[in-house]
Amino acid sequence: MAIGKILKDDASEEKGERARMASFVGVIAITDLVKTTLGPKGMDKILQSTGRGHEVTVTNDGATILKSLHIDNPAAEVLIDISKVQDDEVGDGTTSVVVLAGELLREAEKLVAAKIHPMTIISGYCMPAECAHNALLQRVVDNKENAEKFKSDLMKIAMTTLSSKILSQDKEHFAQLAVDAVMRLKGSTNLEAIQIIKKPGGSLKDSFLDEGFILDKKIGLGQPKRIENAKILVANTAMDTDKVKIYGARVCVDSMSKVAEIEGAEKEKMREKVQKIIAHGINCFVNRQLIYNFPEELFANAGILAIEHADFDGIERLFLVTGGELASTFDNPESIKLGHCKLIEEIMIGEDKLIHFSGVEMGQACTVVLRGASHHVLDEAERSLHDALCVLSQTVNDTRVLLGGGWPEMVMAKEVDDLARKTPGKKSHAIEAFSRALVAIPTIIADNAGLDSADLVSQLRVEHHKEGCNAGIDVISGSVGDMAELGISESFKVKLAVLLSATEAAEMILKVDEIISCGPRRREDRM
Amino acid sequence: MAAVTAAQPRSSKTESYVDNKRKEDIRQANINAARAVADAVRTSLGPKGMDKMISTANGEVIITNDGATILNKMEVLQPAAKMLVDLSKSQDAAAGDGTTTVVVIAGALLKQCLSLLSHGIHPTVISDSLHKASIKAVDVLTAMAVPLELSDRESLIKSASTSLNSKVVSQYSTLLAPLAVDSVLFVVDPEKPDMVDLRDIKIVKRLGGTVDDTELVKGLVFDKKASHAAGGPARMENAKIAVIQFQISPPKTDIEQSIVVSDYTQMDRILKEERNYILGMIKKIKATGCNVLLIQKSILRDAVTDLSLHYLAKAKIMVIKDVERDEIEFITKTLNCLPIANIEHFRAEKLGHADLVEEVSLGDGKIVKVTGIKDMGRTTTVLVRGSNQLVIDEAERSLHDALCVVRCLVNKRFLIAGGGAPEIELSRQLGAWSKVLHGMEGYCVRSFAEALEVIPYTLAENAGLNPIAIVTELRNRHAQGEINAGINVRKGQITNILEENVVQPLLVSTSAITLATECVRMILKIDDIVNVR
Repeated sequence: MAIGKILKDDASEEKGERARMASFVGVIAITDLVKTTLGPKGMDKILQSTGRGHEVTVTNDGATILKSLHIDNPAAEVLIDISKVQDDEVGDGTTSVVVLAGELLREAEKLVAAKIHPMTIISGYCMPAECAHNALLQRVVDNKENAEKFKSDLMKIAMTTLSSKILSQDKEHFAQLAVDAVMRLKGSTNLEAIQIIKKPGGSLKDSFLDEGFILDKKIGLGQPKRIENAKILVANTAMDTDKVKIYGARVCVDSMSKVAEIEGAEKEKMREKVQKIIAHGINCFVNRQLIYNFPEELFANAGILAIEHADFDGIERLFLVTGGELASTFDNPESIKLGHCKLIEEIMIGEDKLIHFSGVEMGQACTVVLRGASHHVLDEAERSLHDALCVLSQTVNDTRVLLGGGWPEMVMAKEVDDLARKTPGKKSHAIEAFSRALVAIPTIIADNAGLDSADLVSQLRVEHHKEGCNAGIDVISGSVGDMAELGISESFKVKLAVLLSATEAAEMILKVDEIISCGPRRREDRM
Repeated sequence: MAAVTAAQPRSSKTESYVDNKRKEDIRQANINAARAVADAVRTSLGPKGMDKMISTANGEVIITNDGATILNKMEVLQPAAKMLVDLSKSQDAAAGDGTTTVVVIAGALLKQCLSLLSHGIHPTVISDSLHKASIKAVDVLTAMAVPLELSDRESLIKSASTSLNSKVVSQYSTLLAPLAVDSVLFVVDPEKPDMVDLRDIKIVKRLGGTVDDTELVKGLVFDKKASHAAGGPARMENAKIAVIQFQISPPKTDIEQSIVVSDYTQMDRILKEERNYILGMIKKIKATGCNVLLIQKSILRDAVTDLSLHYLAKAKIMVIKDVERDEIEFITKTLNCLPIANIEHFRAEKLGHADLVEEVSLGDGKIVKVTGIKDMGRTTTVLVRGSNQLVIDEAERSLHDALCVVRCLVNKRFLIAGGGAPEIELSRQLGAWSKVLHGMEGYCVRSFAEALEVIPYTLAENAGLNPIAIVTELRNRHAQGEINAGINVRKGQITNILEENVVQPLLVSTSAITLATECVRMILKIDDIVNVR
């Protein structure tokens, strides 16, 4: 055992067959965990935190589940990473990508058991990925020219995305909401301009889209509760006295009146600062930090609406939305850009009072107010809506659209099967395996819905042998249906990302033949 | 090769079967845990419902009948059970009343779901049908409801007393119900007639007396005595009130400072200066004609010192100190004045006016009452009295429920009968509807309808009546078209409940049904509990 001398005591090493086995086992375990959440009839999971508070999250979002798992398997980590990347890139399909990668590896495992070299499998996986990509490209629908049709495409995509989530019952409502929000963005993928506010109480249906910006703060005492044509200054400045920030600085005086003078001077400084701020000709002042009683009163006297202690997100959005800039010094009024909006007023949602900015300069911004029975519902609704918004904003940029319900997988599988027949050599086994992995997705969707998957998938395969067929799994009626008629669509970009990153991950994991895990760094070493 | 053969079954089809088994187990465990929670509060439903005594971890004892409070104090760990606790919280937020009802309905629905699941119906099918049924239920309830005018004070009082009847303080419902109605109606802003902010109603609790002595004060009540360490006035007629956010004490700077005293005469001078400084402030205050000062609490610096209190007393200014910062908004709104943050801004126009500010002895302590406020804002104060802390707390919770009920009526001006009448009617109509539906849906909707009977059943059971006899008779009466027949718990029989003045807001019933369904659907969709970081 020469190797034992090379590695440190705690480090372990697994080689060849065993290493590959460990990878397969990890990947398959992860896949099995998330695969029940796939599709419109997928189930939710409770995530129970083992940390303090035992917080509970209920979710259907693959990325959220995987992100929070304890994992001690390098290959499983790779899957979690691709799901994260999928989440960041396109926002949806986080479960699909893991399931597809898992299925590819599951097939690969069988091939390896049949003594096919992993490198052959990898090269066999490369070809169909290319071929499947082309097959999809041929079948995409692009309605970029026709605004009316494109909007209905967006609606369909939003509904398909939402149908697997908690919002499924009110999916039309939320799809409309998401489409409206994304259309306001006018092509930018900057989802920051869409603010989501969660307020418990009411039901999901009471959620609404508001054209404007809502800040979850209170207006200062004695200040106007409604301002028209507001000029807003957003600042991050301490509104108490300016302190000398040298440790131990102190003043020595010899009488009480001098102390009073100093206090008076401090007050005067505050007043000066407020005067400077007022001199900007504003009528609304929003500060990141606290505004104390004294400046608050000064603002009230000047008829200025002052909002203190706004959170960072709120501030960032506010100047994004109103077109202002964050100010921290007030000596040069001309260099500071003020924000504008038509109307600021106090509104009430549920039991809370919020401040509503409407008629903002950047027309792209809007706020979605989510209402729901509990925090669990709201959190999950937010995640679902976020997914839908991501997909929609991506689709606005890349307007190509595919059908859903397992249709793209069947189309790809058919092309890949054809390819397998034309390819000589051992590779064809891998290509066939690839097509089987693709078919696994409609199989799982059917399984999750409690349908007879074997029967349905074989029917689908038959349908797909006809030219120009739109067949997919109609989970509601439990049969094979026409996806175009049912209005089930998916974004091309999402599908493509699923296909490519799943294949890449599978290839990467397959290539591994040795796992070296380093021993944990010991604390005593440093002593 | 051992590892290879061991891992082989993982990829085969048999494994998914094992997986399914586990899913069922988790779903069952969730449903059972949630039902246990529902059973815990079931006995507190209705006018003859029992109370629970909760002793918290820090030794505090609470006696309550309020579902939301009971669940809140229970330390529930199971995730699904926690969702039920949240459910009652959201009902509290949405409607304020019916917090027990919503949990009991959710429990009954879960029980039905369990039997549906055991028949092999897919959870999503159940979930979808429940949703449809709940939408239909809301329609039925809305059709049953009676519209209401806000001027109809009688009806408002009736519904407030229905809510109060199930509480410890039920014998005082004749007093508390009109009180709740009056205070909410007073707070309603004519410009925004359907918005009520319950924060505009302040509830002050004071030990001593009985609940009978609870009163509505058109003005302000401070749960503290006037500060008369130096013999200041305790009663002030024609008061001019200032709310100040600065301190009447020797100056203190933000920057660290020290006074160097080199000899005795200097010390004397400093003392004199301090006196002059304070005297100067008080003179300025006096000059505006102010005779009542409300001083905000200050952490950094004494709000008042003995010395300043002495001078204020001499100037015949009444002082109430240690007012919390978050109360300032309420006070200024009530008094229709502005807070003053600097002595320089102390001007007569910022003062509030009241006919009388007086310190009143109540029980073993004293409170300060401000009455006859000129141009009073739309706020009210309710002074709750009771013979012990437990009763006061429960009275406050009951009053809060009653206020919420009235608020619901202001928001959505419809009344519906109480006493289990709406539930049994829902059950009947949904039952009839289920026969028109096809397939699984019809089956699930029928279960939903059956689950709703739990409310009249529990009401009767808690009242010591024979639940089966009562529920069957109710069904019978409803089938004959008496849609307002309900359980009259006092008489122990079935009567037209609308005539008995047992009414509740429509919003309470509808939100109970929709929230309970939403929660049950969420529990149904869960198939795994994953432990995470």
